[in-house]
Amino acid sequence: MLGSFCLLFALGLASYCLVVGIVAAVRKDSRGDRLAETGRRAGMASFVAITAAALALVWSALNNDFSLAYIYGHTNRALPTPYKLAALWSGQEGSLLFWSWLLASYGFVLRLRHKVDRKLVANTSMILAGIQVFFLILVNFVANPFGLMDRVAADGKGLNALLQYPEMVIHPPMLYLGYVGFSVPFAFALAALMMRYPGEKWIHITRRWTMVTWLFLTCGITLGAHWAYAVLGWGGYWGWDPVENASFFPWLTGTAFLHSVMMQEKRGMMKVWNVWLIFVTFMLSILGTLLTRAGLVSSVHAFAQSSIGSWFVTFLCIIFTVCLVTYIINRKHLVAENKLESLVSRESSFLFNNLVLLAVTFAILCGTLFPILSEAVRGYKINVGPPFFNKVTIPMGLFLVFLTGVGPLLAWGSTSFASLRRNFTIPAALSLLVAVGLIVVDMRPWSGATQLGTWWSGIGISQFYSWMAIVLGTLVFACVASEFIRGGRVLREKLNTNLAGAMYHLTRRNMRRYGGYIAHIGFAVVVIGLAGLAFNQEKEQEMGLGDRLRIGHYELIGQAYTQDDNANYRSEAAQLDVYKDGKWLAQMNPEVRVYKANEQPDHMVAIHHSALEDLYVIYAGKNPDNGHTIIKAFVNPLVSFVWIGVLILICGTGLALVPNAAPVRATVPATVAVPAMKEHGMNPLGASK
Amino acid sequence: MKRLAEILLLSCMIMLLMGADSNSNDERFERLGSKIMCTCSCSQMLLKCNHVGCPNSDPMIRQLRALVGGGRDIVNGLASSSSDIAGLRPMSNDEDVLNWFRKTWGVTAVVEPGSRGLELWAWILPPLALTLGLFAVLFTMRNWRLRPAQAPASAKKLDPHLEALRDRARRETEL
Repeated sequence: MLGSFCLLFALGLASYCLVVGIVAAVRKDSRGDRLAETGRRAGMASFVAITAAALALVWSALNNDFSLAYIYGHTNRALPTPYKLAALWSGQEGSLLFWSWLLASYGFVLRLRHKVDRKLVANTSMILAGIQVFFLILVNFVANPFGLMDRVAADGKGLNALLQYPEMVIHPPMLYLGYVGFSVPFAFALAALMMRYPGEKWIHITRRWTMVTWLFLTCGITLGAHWAYAVLGWGGYWGWDPVENASFFPWLTGTAFLHSVMMQEKRGMMKVWNVWLIFVTFMLSILGTLLTRAGLVSSVHAFAQSSIGSWFVTFLCIIFTVCLVTYIINRKHLVAENKLESLVSRESSFLFNNLVLLAVTFAILCGTLFPILSEAVRGYKINVGPPFFNKVTIPMGLFLVFLTGVGPLLAWGSTSFASLRRNFTIPAALSLLVAVGLIVVDMRPWSGATQLGTWWSGIGISQFYSWMAIVLGTLVFACVASEFIRGGRVLREKLNTNLAGAMYHLTRRNMRRYGGYIAHIGFAVVVIGLAGLAFNQEKEQEMGLGDRLRIGHYELIGQAYTQDDNANYRSEAAQLDVYKDGKWLAQMNPEVRVYKANEQPDHMVAIHHSALEDLYVIYAGKNPDNGHTIIKAFVNPLVSFVWIGVLILICGTGLALVPNAAPVRATVPATVAVPAMKEHGMNPLGASK
Repeated sequence: MKRLAEILLLSCMIMLLMGADSNSNDERFERLGSKIMCTCSCSQMLLKCNHVGCPNSDPMIRQLRALVGGGRDIVNGLASSSSDIAGLRPMSNDEDVLNWFRKTWGVTAVVEPGSRGLELWAWILPPLALTLGLFAVLFTMRNWRLRPAQAPASAKKLDPHLEALRDRARRETEL
């Protein structure tokens, strides 16, 4: 009751904020300003109302209030408390409420910081209110999380088994923070265009918003990949599932935006491109929510499906129309101030980087939406899976890695051949050395697959790609390292310090640039990790007591097979002793659980991590003919590089968010300064101690 | 310089587009198996399906093994005793194997678009978009280079001292 009332009240407040925002934008006088201020306050109040509604739903989940259909459908009494919290975003209605709450939170912070630029923030607040109204209409009238049951049940249906995993408590919020967060730079861009806002201030204001949002999305995608690796139990972390792809779209275009805004900031170029890039990024966020929540395409992630698709499609059409009309009316405002001086320049590398990122987005979009298109044209769905995505995106991705390495070596404006040769020789030589070294250690780019023969080669990706990925990853690493060393050397002499100290000062002086370079290193490490897929090994075998399964350097021996039963689930598990090269390594316990509330099976994968490879073991089930346990084992090389690479990427982006330190002034040597001070009757600091 | 850049670009493109696939039966089994999806609605690839008690993946895998004439045992001891591979002969053409699965298990069983009709467009569109984008970028660059530069709004007010410092910064940082 309270929740429903709060949602209705929030809708009223957000609508008021939207309407008075429009009136204030049209009037442009002091009365309009006062109206805008009331709208700002209403927007802040809507955050309080939506927070109260969200808390009411969480409270109902914690107290097993099965009179609410949503609580009945997504929790049960035996569900552990953290998963009851996760129930807020585990279903359609709850996740839409969660979307609204996150948007209201972003809006609250924005409205609180309105002194940055009152006029621009007022218009931005109006646009955010418009988005808020859409989501509040959905949660009030289409997918209300406070819908009541006809009869109160004794227990609920429980949470989806796949979601009962610690990472699942934080993965969706991170992803949603990313999706929702793009609303803010979108609203700023649209508001700035509507107002014909002079200069690049909107970009300066939104830079941190965009980076934080991008960071959340990166964390969300990685947590999702890790969850897929640890829970779905098929041995990999990225399966090109439509919902995975949906989270990737705004990430790719957001990455393009983060790079291309630098051209606008530094050179006053690509204004139209940047505005459209952020428009498209936001629309792709909405599309991502649509794909996740409306069940348009079949997915292992389709936890909540319904017929809200038409609402989202309508909303997307409205957004596109508003963006297009605003652009057409104000396009003269977006004239570039500079021209491109040379094809070999930082600007052109950004252009190509954007082109490749957009082409990858388009390719993935094509594959993801192809089943819908084929159903519309032919009357049945033609599925598109990993073979297509790998074949189409990996060559483009490798070109992107190449640009990641070369881009930072190019100067703004134009780069001379001498400068290019000076900067590029050592990184190129190093990557060439690695290329030859890999061939020496039997990783030949011209062979289709290794003796270890794997699904990697099977899905159309030859070992060449893997070799190329490692070589280009090294190139990126070497290019970035050479940039740090070159800058460090210059500063070392000026500051009279060692190279490491100089590199630290260098980074502190330009956090954005060098934080970005660290993020590039993280990307290179991820790419090297992905190259490990070419060497995956896989084996499946029936195992009884004392039976042995050999895979790579490992030997698994069946020690015991157990069964368990508790209030939440039944389980079967294997106890396996693992030996590596004859030496005992660890005991692994793969398990399969069947949750009682919904009779859903779920694999608890056993993973032994090491720096160079993971041993990944699944309890695959029992052979119905003889009752023997089936164990599936994988050796996945370089997986840890992927997780470590993402951590470096996150750290780099985090560093880029930190403000620069003031330049360190070179100190005057004491031998000169102290006598001079004494001559003038002054005491050096600390001299009296 | 220009020639070197062209050669470098060309070599990269050629290297990216090359790469051979192996043709042994085991590798064919892996390759084709990763183009087919389990049809039990678990949304997993055929060879990756870990669905406990899956009614579809076992017969599908056995049929694939029979059609390819090789491939690893996914579940030991079941392949030879099954009746769902009766009458199946190995096929030498990959597309024929995939078409057999499309016909037997429905078009949704194969997750790689075919090379005819509408499905061909799925393959054509991404590289076409990239090529058009490339031309668009090159065209934009050409336009930028031909267009006279606009004087910066603040050009007249530049402080000579500040400009000297900027020159020095450009020299030292190569920006």
